[in-house]
Amino acid sequence: MSVTPEELMALADGELSGEAAARVEAAVAADPTLARRLEAERSLRAALRGQLDPVADEPVPAALTALIARTAAEDSAHGAPETATSAGHPKPAEVVDLAAARTRRDEAEKARKRAAKGPRVPIFADRRMGFAIAASLVVGLMLGAQLHGGSGPITQTSAGLVASGSLARGLDRQLAAAEPAADMRILASFRRQDGRYCRVFAGAATSGIACKQDGNWLLERTMTGGPAQTGAYRQAGSAEASLMAAAQDLMAGDPLDAAQEKAAQAKDWR
Amino acid sequence: MSTHHFCNELTALLPRLRRFARGLTQNAADADDLCQTTVERALVARGQWQEGTRLDAWVYRIMRNQWIDETRARSRRAQTFVHEDEGANVGVAGDRDAENRVELGNVDRALARLPAEQREAVVLVLVEGFAYKEAAEIIGIPQGTLTSRLGRGREALLKELGEPA
Repeated sequence: MSVTPEELMALADGELSGEAAARVEAAVAADPTLARRLEAERSLRAALRGQLDPVADEPVPAALTALIARTAAEDSAHGAPETATSAGHPKPAEVVDLAAARTRRDEAEKARKRAAKGPRVPIFADRRMGFAIAASLVVGLMLGAQLHGGSGPITQTSAGLVASGSLARGLDRQLAAAEPAADMRILASFRRQDGRYCRVFAGAATSGIACKQDGNWLLERTMTGGPAQTGAYRQAGSAEASLMAAAQDLMAGDPLDAAQEKAAQAKDWR
Repeated sequence: MSTHHFCNELTALLPRLRRFARGLTQNAADADDLCQTTVERALVARGQWQEGTRLDAWVYRIMRNQWIDETRARSRRAQTFVHEDEGANVGVAGDRDAENRVELGNVDRALARLPAEQREAVVLVLVEGFAYKEAAEIIGIPQGTLTSRLGRGREALLKELGEPA
């Protein structure tokens, strides 16, 4: 009865069972050379573990646990997608899921593309997008309440979330170069790859990217609050930065300059 | 799975992830950096993890791929890559490595000398305790390739450590 080195290795690694294991074990029992060999395999495993197991017993650096805890805290503070579906707000949760699923899919795809490009820098971009994703889910949750009131700045339609009221007016009229209005600033205007006009805005209640479609400002990205209202982890500017990064991905060419923006506005962003 | 649950599971994995990182990198500082980057990536990508599949294998794969990227980038930067067969005393970097290794145990040194592809196979199966199938999936290779790398790595280690091969 012959036993291959592969079979012996498989036995040592616990990969054999039943008949196969019994056969190799019997061969090992009958052959001192095989027995020594199996013993060597096992002592190698013990030696490797003896070398590396102590690392698993070391205290984990606080920075690592803190990194994870921060993400957990962000999501539970803002309402994670998962809690949104299980927290007992059926209607708003549906809205969240539609918008969130799309956002998440888009972001995941972009993160994947970015990750494919290079090792180090993209990680930070990804992390920032991670915040943006979380934040965009949040706004969906908060909007849920407004949707039933009907008079908020954002309305749910079959096409998605659409700017209404003061937000729609601001998007229609305000220019990036203009003095910021009390409740909203336009950070940039641009044309998408498909030719539609989009605007990046930062408002007191909501910031985001809106694109004109069929006469409405469809909200492509949303974040709760302007930079002033954001939480401790998202310092001033980084919310805007992540929106601008998202805009960069949608943009065809450069953002509109003042003259182009004015011309687009004159044509009602069509 | 809620983010909360995901985060708890990930936190519970940290000791094992640190061990795997050390096994891959053979260096405490590199291992810490690798852990940090891996956790960042796992958190960002948490929406892509499919419930019902093993979280540990998923995170190990992220770590392993990250390390491969890292080592490739390094060998591009420094052309002073020391091939396994050329021993540890080639050039200045080799001398420094040799000094550093004086304090390491025999096992560590032997493991460090393995080609990376054999080392990851050995570490995943013998230290991390993954089945062949799982280890092959983490690395992204057929199971037959895994067992062949594992066999060669094991041979080399046994020889190096003076065990009867």
